[in-house]
Amino acid sequence: MNEMYIHRAAAFTGEADTDMNYLKEEIRRYTKENFRRVNKFILLSLLGARQCIHQYALDTDTAIYLTTEHGNLGETADVLDEIYAISSLPKPFGFINTMSSTAAFYLAQNLGIRGRNITVSSQHLSFERGVDLLKVDFAGGAERSALIGGVDEASLAGTAMEGHADRSWRMVDGSGWCYVKPEREGACGAFTEIRSFGDGPSCVRWISEREKSPLDVVSFGALIGDDEADGLREILQPAAEFDYLRDFGYSGSATACGVSLFVLRFQGKTLLHINRDPRGHYAVIEVERF
Amino acid sequence: MKRRAFVTGKSMICALGDTLEAIVDAAHHKRIRMTHIPFTLASLPYTKPYYLIQGSEEDKLDNRSEAYFYDILFSTVSRALLDAGLSSPEINDMHVFFGSTSMDIPIFEGNYRKTSTSVSGMFLQSSNGYGKIASAIAETFYIRGRCYSFATACTSSANALLYAAAMIEQRQIERALVVGYDLYNNLGFYGFEALKSIAVSEYRPFDRTRDGLILGEACGAVVLERRRRKVGDFVYLGGANLCDTYSVASHDEEGSAVAETMNRALRQAGIRPEHIDAVKAHATGTENNDRTECAAMRVTFGSNMPPVTCVKPFIGHTVGACGVNELILFTEAIKAGFIPSTPGFREADKDLNLTPLTENMDAGKGIFMLNYFGFGGNCTTLILSNKDAMG
Repeated sequence: MNEMYIHRAAAFTGEADTDMNYLKEEIRRYTKENFRRVNKFILLSLLGARQCIHQYALDTDTAIYLTTEHGNLGETADVLDEIYAISSLPKPFGFINTMSSTAAFYLAQNLGIRGRNITVSSQHLSFERGVDLLKVDFAGGAERSALIGGVDEASLAGTAMEGHADRSWRMVDGSGWCYVKPEREGACGAFTEIRSFGDGPSCVRWISEREKSPLDVVSFGALIGDDEADGLREILQPAAEFDYLRDFGYSGSATACGVSLFVLRFQGKTLLHINRDPRGHYAVIEVERF
Repeated sequence: MKRRAFVTGKSMICALGDTLEAIVDAAHHKRIRMTHIPFTLASLPYTKPYYLIQGSEEDKLDNRSEAYFYDILFSTVSRALLDAGLSSPEINDMHVFFGSTSMDIPIFEGNYRKTSTSVSGMFLQSSNGYGKIASAIAETFYIRGRCYSFATACTSSANALLYAAAMIEQRQIERALVVGYDLYNNLGFYGFEALKSIAVSEYRPFDRTRDGLILGEACGAVVLERRRRKVGDFVYLGGANLCDTYSVASHDEEGSAVAETMNRALRQAGIRPEHIDAVKAHATGTENNDRTECAAMRVTFGSNMPPVTCVKPFIGHTVGACGVNELILFTEAIKAGFIPSTPGFREADKDLNLTPLTENMDAGKGIFMLNYFGFGGNCTTLILSNKDAMG
């Protein structure tokens, strides 16, 4: 495992009907910049990441990995309405902002950083895949510091769950972020494991053979069913469970929020987060909070 | 010795055709096929050009459906896997890297034509998320690896390739399927028209009289592996991605961020600017892009500018798909012995101070730079070679 130390973390979760003006007011607590021509997805990205960084001085070369299930589809829907329902050309900046990477751009511009700027997705495992990319860039020496986060709007998060999850949660806007560097000095935690498995049995085998026990805290992604979670608890015998979906609600980027919230709340503990996608692929993230 | 990533299989469908032979032959002879499409939904009294895939009845825009979207995708992937000569276990072992600007918007628009519900309401209900298409590829071809879907506007599939190659180099994976796919969609066509970015009739990047870009659709797939399978397989030497924070819609015309991206890619590849034998420019044909890119190339190469070509006039600007599709067109042309010229170029722009190839140039072994830029300040440069010694 590469050295991926978490130096800061934060998560914003807001009710599904969170007002844009409220988000702008919240952002003003961290930056004087006045954001015009931006949408809710961009504001959520800015708010979560600015909460994470606050007044911390970033290296100019800091990279951004924005993970998302749906991107800024709220504005995409509005632009489609302009074309199909209003029968006009869309507003230019509305169209540009249908490209979700604009959120990572506005964040880079606001923070004055120009490192890699990647927006990536993978059904229900978007945050885990973002951590994969971060690991590649740290290992290859392409980056020395990075902001990695997950952002999704509530209004769309529910649709992707239909037919996949056997539990239900309240839908929220979510924006969870971690600032990561290869250096341990000054860190508050670390990504100590990121593993992927082609099927459930391979994942269970690895979990069973882990030497690190007993486990402090376990958490499960949205598609891990009740029976499956029971089986994993039986193997892991965790001292505690962090049910962030129950406590904070679900968005497409719930994993990013869950990991960030763990870092904020569980000092001195280690988390094993187990997740899966609709194909039956599994991913495990281990996070140590110093 | 550093482990390398080789391009061992390729397949592509675009306005020029659906076989590599047909596409290269069309490029060699500058046979270009554009269609003019009206802005019917907005009741505008004019048309704009577009590079459409058009081989059969099913290709007609009004006939397209979700099945059409996936037929094009799966056919392209299938032919790339065949071109690489992969066995079933090798396919099972792959990982999928997908890049697109429009993602599933063409599917949505096709489905919407058949309903009477409100467009935004239906869209919000039917979105499957950006990761759905890559998962569908994996499920269809029994690929058991991980799926990554890149959404970085016009650099999407270039970034997909950059990370696939890096993971192979770092021995994290053995092989990857990299796909760049964007089909025609009204959102993109009307959106670029709203930006006043679409040219009236001809694609003329770097030309003094250029008047914008012309969109196109394409699906391209490449197989990346750690071993060369065939003589002439290209090897990935390095790449870089940076964010130019100048503006969300344009780049700094001094080209400093773009030049820095090129220089980092060169350093990562372990080569110097004078080692580059030719450049495939991004060359959208818009005023800002061409100024920025030419300025950046002058910063990077100084007075030793290598031959530069622009391939968008052959297939159109295929937005997020252009990373993979322009790579295929460019490298297949070199395999066939030539670097394609830039059709449509007639008159040099003294402000750009750069004349792209106006005739096909003989090509053999070499090292090549491929540049890609996008909205949101995204800049990506890839360096590839077909030199035997580079493997």
